[in-house]
Amino acid sequence: MSNTTIEDQVSPIYWQKVSPWALLYFVVHFSVRFVKDGLLNLLPMFVVFVTQVENKLFWAQVAGGIALVLLFVYSFLYYLNFKFCISSDNEILLNKGVFKKERLTLKFGRVQNVNIAEPFYFTPVNLVNCIFDAAGSVSQEVVLPGVTKDYAQQMRKQIFDFKAQQQEEIQNTEQSETDTIENKLSISNKEIAKFGLMSNMAILAIAALAPFINLIVDFLEKQIITKVEGFYQQELGMLASAATFAMITLIILLVLAAVMLSVTMSLIRFYNFELYFKGQKFKRIAGLLERHQLSMSMDKVQSIVIKQNLMGRLLKRFTVECLQASSGGIAAGAAAKKNKQTLVLPVLNSEQVDSVCQWIYPWFNSKKLAFKRAERALLYKNLGFYSLLPSALVFGFCFIADINTLISLGVLVVFSGLVTLSYQRCGYYMHEDNGRFYMVVRKGMIGVHYRVFELYKAQSARSISTYLMRKSGLKSLYIQLASGFAFMPYIKQQDADFIIDFTIKQIESDTRSWM
Amino acid sequence: MFNNQQIMDLPKHSDISFKPLADKALLHAQLSSLLFYIPLIGALIAVCYFNEAFANNAQTYLLIGMPILVAVSMLYNMISVRLRGFAVRNHDIAFKKGVIWQQVTVLPLARVQHMEIHQGPIERKLSLASIKLFSAGGVSADLQISGLTHDDCKNMRQFVQNYRQDDTTPQATLVDE
Repeated sequence: MSNTTIEDQVSPIYWQKVSPWALLYFVVHFSVRFVKDGLLNLLPMFVVFVTQVENKLFWAQVAGGIALVLLFVYSFLYYLNFKFCISSDNEILLNKGVFKKERLTLKFGRVQNVNIAEPFYFTPVNLVNCIFDAAGSVSQEVVLPGVTKDYAQQMRKQIFDFKAQQQEEIQNTEQSETDTIENKLSISNKEIAKFGLMSNMAILAIAALAPFINLIVDFLEKQIITKVEGFYQQELGMLASAATFAMITLIILLVLAAVMLSVTMSLIRFYNFELYFKGQKFKRIAGLLERHQLSMSMDKVQSIVIKQNLMGRLLKRFTVECLQASSGGIAAGAAAKKNKQTLVLPVLNSEQVDSVCQWIYPWFNSKKLAFKRAERALLYKNLGFYSLLPSALVFGFCFIADINTLISLGVLVVFSGLVTLSYQRCGYYMHEDNGRFYMVVRKGMIGVHYRVFELYKAQSARSISTYLMRKSGLKSLYIQLASGFAFMPYIKQQDADFIIDFTIKQIESDTRSWM
Repeated sequence: MFNNQQIMDLPKHSDISFKPLADKALLHAQLSSLLFYIPLIGALIAVCYFNEAFANNAQTYLLIGMPILVAVSMLYNMISVRLRGFAVRNHDIAFKKGVIWQQVTVLPLARVQHMEIHQGPIERKLSLASIKLFSAGGVSADLQISGLTHDDCKNMRQFVQNYRQDDTTPQATLVDE
């Protein structure tokens, strides 16, 4: 980073510029933004170009050249206007913009995390991006590109020191930090590859291809299916079923490709995963193209989710997520994840889950917790709605269509089994540990999903009941959290009322900062 | 292990006496419903007028069904408005609503991130307003109370804005409010 300082004409604050290498970051950043946001807007122009323009190659080269020059000029101007300073009021001030000049002010107190990312293009010059995450808001994120690692770490220390001074409680934590041992967890890349199998990244990749499905199907039909069909006919002499075999082969290949893609994406994201935990703070370093360093204080964690899906169950692996506040809505939650504000421990076996839980919540052991189940009325209701009703419909359909009505019996058995499994998983557990109150909510069907949170971090509480539920003395409980929610259906009315009252009391009487 | 002992001074949300909505809230709900049904009925009349085949098939059902639907909707509004209520306590706002699924939501003031007051054309005419209170992480507003007087909304907003968590008052007194 260049240390040249520019004295502002108006205020006595010292503006700093980032290293000229940051130009690289701006070029990459604006290219990515152009592809993500601008490309769709240019679609009508592209259609005109394809249908109306004759000398396509020439004009494409001209347009590409102009776009490239504009990109570099814009990035250069952006770099020239990009100045930052750390004010004496403990704020990060940022001046940026080319056509629309912006000044962004981010108070140290609002910074949730200071992350250090090492993009591959900065590796030869030993520079990093210093990312300041504000509470849940993507637009408030500040990135200082092309600063030295030492400077970034110094910034992080300065901000955390400031925050520590602000809260006496954190000060105590800082004190204990020096006494505690650093816990470490590494996940091998072989294990990370398993996350590719467990996660839904392949589905997301396929979903991204959905707009081009017609083109893909046409291409596959012309280029691959006919050739594979020909191969089966010639080599194996399967005249009758060659087309079917070709189709099955194609489907298997597509599934394999999706799985491979998913595994690759997991490796890019979590390559050489290292996790450190010391003094109530996590530090995670991972990534193939970009070594991303994420630090997260436990105070900022709103809830912890431990989950295992069907594939995870087969592989005997869990995923743990430490969720921070999202400023509202599913979109913001997704943005928080995308913005790397969520600490994801992608693949852990049950021993690793236990050991990580020992660091955070020494009392937590999913196998030993005595969960309180939902009342049996939930099972009866779900059996009626999700098992009996569908099987009756299937029976009616089979009867009318003159198909074997035993199918409806199969539906009844399978759906009843799933409903019963889901009922058995459903449960909650409350715990007191050193004057702090926690709640664990469990749900799932074949897999399992635990959400652990401290009660005072809840945002609001709600009870829901129908006429029949009130008659039976039952209520459902819904607790809104800053990251998701906890829902416990069909529990005893007095228990639901007590949990709501107790949660509200915790929120209102606990003066600790929740975010 | 968590101990579920009886805490004597724990304020109970089930003891809250909820304040009903403004007098004109029912009128607002009925007018809003009519604003939906009148264009729908108009469109159906137009379809019947121009499409004889459709009119022959559906006219009788529509003539019987639509008035029933409107009447049921009006009745539902009456029950729904009557079952709604809100309570502003020292440290939180509670709201109950729902006919089939009855909900009671308690939102602590310390968790309110921002608020919005809305006034549609009908609400302006009736001097009513709606208030939306947002906390962190929710999909939409945690509390949306419509059918309040505009003054009530403004007072509520002022009360929430002035709230400071350290202004502690004895919790037991909150229940009686």
